[in-house]
Amino acid sequence: MNLNRMWRRYDRLLGADVASDINQELRFHIEAKAESLMAQGWAEDEARKEAERQFGNLGALQGEGERIGNRIERRKRLREYWSDVLQDTRYGFRKLARSPGFASFAILTLALGIGLCSVIFAFLNGALAPLPAVPEPERLAIMQAPIPYPWFKTYQGDGYAAWKAAAFMSPAPFNVSFEGEGSERVTGILVSPEYFETLAVHPQLGRFFNTRSEREGSAPVVVVTERFWRTRLHSDPHAVGRRLRINGSVVPILGVCPRGFFGTGTGSLSVPDLFIPVTSNAAIAPELRDNVLHRNTQPAFWLLLRLKPGTTIATAEAQLDAETRHLQTRPQQKGKLAHLMPDGTVMPLPPEARAILYIFYGALVLAVLGLICANLGGLMLARGAARFKEIAIRLSIGANRFRLVRQLVTESAVLAILGGFAGLATAILIFRLLRRVQADSNPLLDVLISGPDFKVALFTFAISGLVAIGFGLIPAIVVTGLDTADVMKAGLFNGLRGHRRFGIRNLFVVGQVMAAMTLVLIAGFIVIGAQTGSKVDPGFDSAPISFFSVDPTRDGLTGPECAEALRRIPERLARLGGVESVSLADGPPVSKSTPDTKVSVPSIGDRSVAFQRVGPNFLTTVGAAILRGTDFEDRTLLMDDGSGKVLPIAINQVAATDLFQSEDPLGRRIQVGEQAYQVAAVVRYLPMTILGGHAVPVILAPLTVNDLQRSDIEGTTVVIRAYTPVGIAAINSELAAIDPRITIFHPQTMPEYLSEQDRLASMITASYTPIGVFGLILACLGLAGVTAQTVQRRQKEIGIRIALGARRMDALRLVMGEGIAMVLSGAVLGFLVASGLARILAAISAPMAQVIGPAASDPGLTLGIPSFFVLLAAIACYVPARHAASINPLVALREE
Amino acid sequence: MDATKLEFLRGTLDVLILKSCVWGPLHGYAITSFIREQSDDALLLEEGTLYPALWRLESKGLLQSDWGLSENNRKAKFYRLTAKGRRQLQQETTTWHTYAAAVSKVLAAEQPNRPLAEEIR
Repeated sequence: MNLNRMWRRYDRLLGADVASDINQELRFHIEAKAESLMAQGWAEDEARKEAERQFGNLGALQGEGERIGNRIERRKRLREYWSDVLQDTRYGFRKLARSPGFASFAILTLALGIGLCSVIFAFLNGALAPLPAVPEPERLAIMQAPIPYPWFKTYQGDGYAAWKAAAFMSPAPFNVSFEGEGSERVTGILVSPEYFETLAVHPQLGRFFNTRSEREGSAPVVVVTERFWRTRLHSDPHAVGRRLRINGSVVPILGVCPRGFFGTGTGSLSVPDLFIPVTSNAAIAPELRDNVLHRNTQPAFWLLLRLKPGTTIATAEAQLDAETRHLQTRPQQKGKLAHLMPDGTVMPLPPEARAILYIFYGALVLAVLGLICANLGGLMLARGAARFKEIAIRLSIGANRFRLVRQLVTESAVLAILGGFAGLATAILIFRLLRRVQADSNPLLDVLISGPDFKVALFTFAISGLVAIGFGLIPAIVVTGLDTADVMKAGLFNGLRGHRRFGIRNLFVVGQVMAAMTLVLIAGFIVIGAQTGSKVDPGFDSAPISFFSVDPTRDGLTGPECAEALRRIPERLARLGGVESVSLADGPPVSKSTPDTKVSVPSIGDRSVAFQRVGPNFLTTVGAAILRGTDFEDRTLLMDDGSGKVLPIAINQVAATDLFQSEDPLGRRIQVGEQAYQVAAVVRYLPMTILGGHAVPVILAPLTVNDLQRSDIEGTTVVIRAYTPVGIAAINSELAAIDPRITIFHPQTMPEYLSEQDRLASMITASYTPIGVFGLILACLGLAGVTAQTVQRRQKEIGIRIALGARRMDALRLVMGEGIAMVLSGAVLGFLVASGLARILAAISAPMAQVIGPAASDPGLTLGIPSFFVLLAAIACYVPARHAASINPLVALREE
Repeated sequence: MDATKLEFLRGTLDVLILKSCVWGPLHGYAITSFIREQSDDALLLEEGTLYPALWRLESKGLLQSDWGLSENNRKAKFYRLTAKGRRQLQQETTTWHTYAAAVSKVLAAEQPNRPLAEEIR
């Protein structure tokens, strides 16, 4: 048998041609058949015809052959492809196993970097996850500003075709006591009877509210979350019908929510455990007083809509807008009146906020990934250099360059996939730790840190793939694109010499420094912004101060009873041993730290200040120094609503300069809404600025009887100045003497309170410092690696220089110079990127502007961080560069 | 019996093709000749059935084709038995022998001593 391989080779060269193959095969058969017929004595024409006749339908046969042939061909190509991939992968693993140092460094880098990105993504994923335990959450929408209850009634009537509506108030604390136990503050939420029906949630036990049973003025009932039922009622199967004492009223439990349900997101981290209908009589919650359900002037309710199929946010917004125009007292008002946002996610976000989130974290992830790619890319190039001879030989004996590139990229893909697994494991570990710390503390947090799901895993592997291409492709192309003759002759380093200064490797270093710089700066801005912003110096000595809160309205006292009790508390507590002075305030000292109150100053204009109401003796009690003027003390106000009077106020130095510039503030008038005030004193009193750094202007105004009768969510704070600590028991017995119903909450010392306020800053520090440190370490390692490589590459040159009389310092300078030049250019680029990013973020987000703004414009920081960075980078260069100075010319020249 | 009318039983064509290639690569024409000669002209293989069967066997991986030169120096496609094809042939052969023996045995049966109906009862 005479098989000729040439045909096969020929066929490979042109690619398979199935149609002609089949044709030729059949043709051959016909000829052979005809020949054999002719041998039997047939005439040539006849024989040919007979042979074709025996074949039947030749066309159909040809068609069938092509179909089968094409299938075979396709399968063959696929098999070849996969066997190549398999081979490359095996080869990649072998290569990595042979350099465990490099492999473990790379995988560690990838694990940290990819893990970091996965954690960021998992948080976003958790925040934007659909609301738990609510069917079809994507059809929920919420109005971005609260409205009066009657408006909700209107929207409910007219828009019925387009949506189902419900209203609810912001979460508020309730004093809850169980049978025979002390009371506790539990977050609850007042909802309209349609609430659960709108959410389409069904009770796990008992029933929910409905418009038939829950009518205005009816006795209060309560629905509790599954978490409350499990942790406080010990999963009592007979919980329905049990009674809780809530704010002094006895309230039967109506139903238990399904597991995981915590209402709809309200944008705050506090989530309710109790649901109480707004139709309950006002005794249960001070928020319901003053006939709030019928007043058009109290925008206290959030409007929740479940849009019917076919209604979009935009069309609903348009309808609401038209409706609102009728309701508004000033219908001429321009612009959109109703703003809706989707409410189907754990953290509901208006589209702008979502954009900020994406930009910020997107930039962070990109910087981290860029850093990893540049770092590992540089290393891969170095490894490619180490293998140059192998590659050059393979290229020169005819290896396909595409195939070689693919092989090298497969190697990085193997690394990246291993790194991806390690990264996912890192993320899971981080979340496990978080969960252990935060177990069951807050259902919303539970969702946020529920950890990686398949989406996160998908994201992780997607970015691993990107990283593989990022750090594998460019080195592979560079290494395989070299002039093989040069490489064989003199080694890769000489092959690269032509583009030494702007070579691809230097580009990697610059890119790496740039990404690291961006990371370090952004992390630095945030960390240092948060740290300095929350610097706690209230302007007075906090040590002797302690305080607690009471909320007699929530304990069931009526308005006048409440005011009376609050008037008597300071008097009675002042008699306790060791107590110097006691006062009241509408919140802990220096807690009002956002300039959120508009005041108008005659002949100056409108300003925003933080506004705190305080009782008599407040300045003495906290020990705030009066810089000018006198203490304002007007005990009569605690019995008088002060209407029509001009009330005295104290302002801090910041407010003095903010409101009156250089003029004398004493005696000046200030208008806040309807109320007129007169400045009586300038005091040293500095609220902590949790994030921001700028000192806040504050006005301290006297509490009036109105304030005492209606407390806000924080209740009323009782501030005590004492040099020996006052026991809770003593305080409790004094309060019991005033009214046994009053309970105290949040007892704290001032130093405790201040350090707790600091916690946000420490949390921010804890989350962003690792990012910055990661960037710094990676950049330094990368730099050190590349410099070491440079030294090796120029060993001969340096050897010659030294042999010709160059001093060792010169050699050091030569190597360091190159490194420093790269570091500086990368640092400048990174600085530009970071400050550009900071500016964009500050422009679109006020909180970001508060955090980043002051830090980003602080010359100490903007110069300090880069200088520190460059210093570290220089050290990273110096260590290997020192080796250059110690090169022995004899040894260096003998090599090669 | 008219030899040309003898049709291939389902499945037997494949095993005969595999058998033809057992001593070395053959082209399509040689396979028809082989089967005809070996069966003393009893089995006449139609070209319209042979080629699709060959291609199917190739796509199943039982045969592998290569271009080569025929006895009279013409370009022809040769089919070679793969390892998988060889295993298949062995298996099919055993099955066929068992089957054929069983069928012949039944067909050669004589009348049993007792009527069948009694046994059923």
